[in-house]
Amino acid sequence: MSLNPVEFEDKLQVNYEKIKKGTVSVFVHIFLIAVSLSCLFPLWWAFASSLKTQQTIFNDLSLFPKAPHWENYVEAWTKADFGMYFSNSLIYTVTVVIGVILIASMAAYAFSRLQFPGKNVLFLILISTMMVPIPGSIIPLYVLLNKLHLVNTRLGYILPQINAGLALGIFLLKTFFDDLPKELEDSARIDGCGRFRVYWHIALPLARPAIAVLAIFNILAVWNEYLLAMLVLNSKNLMPLQRGLMVFQGAHVTQYPLLMAGIVITVLPVLVVYLMLQKHIIKGITAGAVKG
Amino acid sequence: MRLSYKNFIILFSVLLIVTGCSGGDKKESNTITVWHWMSDREDAFQELAKRYQAETGTPVKFELFAPSESYSQRVKVSAQTSTLPDIYGVLGEKRDFASFIRSGYVADLTPELSKEDSAWKKSFFEKALLINEFLPENEYKVTPGIYGVPLDVMTIQMVYNKNLYKKAGLNPASPPRSWNEFVEHCGKLKDAGIPCFVSGFGEIWLIDAFASNYAMNIMGEKKVFDTYRGTVPYTDPDWVQVLGLFKQMADQKILVDGAVTMVNKTSEQTFANERAAYSFNGSWCVNVYKGMNPGLEYSAMLPPAFTNARSMKVWGGSGSSLVVNSQSPRRDAAIAFLKWMTAEPQQTFLAEQTENLPAVKGSLGKISPILSEFADDVDSTTHPNIYPVHENPSVTEAFDKGIQSILIGEKTPEEVATEVQRLKEKELKKSK
Repeated sequence: MSLNPVEFEDKLQVNYEKIKKGTVSVFVHIFLIAVSLSCLFPLWWAFASSLKTQQTIFNDLSLFPKAPHWENYVEAWTKADFGMYFSNSLIYTVTVVIGVILIASMAAYAFSRLQFPGKNVLFLILISTMMVPIPGSIIPLYVLLNKLHLVNTRLGYILPQINAGLALGIFLLKTFFDDLPKELEDSARIDGCGRFRVYWHIALPLARPAIAVLAIFNILAVWNEYLLAMLVLNSKNLMPLQRGLMVFQGAHVTQYPLLMAGIVITVLPVLVVYLMLQKHIIKGITAGAVKG
Repeated sequence: MRLSYKNFIILFSVLLIVTGCSGGDKKESNTITVWHWMSDREDAFQELAKRYQAETGTPVKFELFAPSESYSQRVKVSAQTSTLPDIYGVLGEKRDFASFIRSGYVADLTPELSKEDSAWKKSFFEKALLINEFLPENEYKVTPGIYGVPLDVMTIQMVYNKNLYKKAGLNPASPPRSWNEFVEHCGKLKDAGIPCFVSGFGEIWLIDAFASNYAMNIMGEKKVFDTYRGTVPYTDPDWVQVLGLFKQMADQKILVDGAVTMVNKTSEQTFANERAAYSFNGSWCVNVYKGMNPGLEYSAMLPPAFTNARSMKVWGGSGSSLVVNSQSPRRDAAIAFLKWMTAEPQQTFLAEQTENLPAVKGSLGKISPILSEFADDVDSTTHPNIYPVHENPSVTEAFDKGIQSILIGEKTPEEVATEVQRLKEKELKKSK
């Protein structure tokens, strides 16, 4: 059956669109796969290196070691006292993240919903502290902690980190609360809810995606923190996980396989948390949690 | 949210109380605290602490802060709040050490070192103590004395691979004694397909060390120091000759590819994996090579002299030093511990465990043959930290970067000498 010229042109157009769409899709996928591989490669390289020996790590550049040395993980775990550091980091991370979420969400809600004199100035001052990194305030911070007798205590390590996470937390959550419809809260207030109950039962559950973003940012920051620990803590039994990795890095000699095994051990929990919160994080970001 | 706000706040409060109530270790008042940055020696230090407590009953607590940048930061902030430990180390240049002394944070150990006919002082290599010593009328205005004791010594020399030597038909027992012989050996190695020389020349302090060795050899210490003082120009033929050695290395392709931008870690891997016949490195490399390639057969040698008019001098001296906090209530106990720590048995133990050169002469007989080769040249060492006069850092940097330019064929020795001299004159004018 022959097609008339108009039908033929339509079919040609449809085919052209299909091919164009398919080609673009192939290129997009190739690009995304390349990006994913470039992100995954360092992780895989660290994992592969963790299964080699100190001698083979410089000769054997394969990504799949023929004779994997799984015992490196056991050695890294025992030699660096990872058990102790792991529980310390867990305590610090949970406490700091809860502290930041609790305080930042209350402050953000207040900045978003309450009217009080100097609100905007106060908010600007608060978010301007985001520009002051911890290394820039090391000496005054140490002097303060020393005066408060908080040096070499867990609290002395936790409080500055909660403080460091607040500015970003308040900024993120305030922009999220600003976008929430006020009508929801009004109806709750008509039903007899006080300010705090509205915040806790209405605003906070709705801000879950933004809280997930805030949580992952802070989990990453606290889990990987080392500089403040070196400054505030002396005792080995108070040190976080990153201290364990230092055991394998000497001034001149670095035990690369054990270091890589240690890195894999430290990365795993964050990876798991990230995968668990992934849905909320994407939602949080796309819902405008990080818009300015 | 299923968690009620009351429970949430209770959970947070409980966590804060639990964490807030737990402090560090409960230290006994007679515990000596030592801060250090040497993570690769942590196990050996802990073992020594145990032994000391068993011998004397005095507990010692080693606290590790690594890497060295974090350690330095911690020491500085602790000094400002008078919370330094009993024993610690000051990292950095001699002027940093001097400022700690002038601020009253470091005890003068001279009286202790001089006791019993200076027995403690005499036990060390003479060169090892120099770095901790301030002479009368020193430029830092520090009261003359010795303010720290070394735990080890180091030298920065050349090493050569005996196997590659054999492959090239060279005699492993006869390393080159002169620069010309070195160039000749490199030719034979290249003919055998063996890359000749590697060093971490991407780190300019290594270039500085290598160039300084030849400057001292070609023109002597006095002329080098006169250059730093500004009375001899960098355009002097001797300086051009020093720079010319690098031109010769570039022209004859003596350096392995990429050595100009290579960091020392990579250079160590290259030598350990037998991808270069010579390397210029510190005595710490013994431990590094042992980890990377335990079967590596190599020897240490002084860099081959350009002229026999003067003996070669290499950088070296004290490796890591510790000082006593002058404000410590356990000052005497801390000094007693340092005496014990630097005694022969402990030094031998540290040398065996860490493959570093011991700071005391008495432990030399018990170290590995390769370490002994490095130790043999301790008397030929010098170091910028013990120079009577110092070059302006920006001039040193321009000089070292100029050498990198020569090595990549970008500039000639004469051009670099002229540029460095121009900068030197500018800096001299500024200082007047």
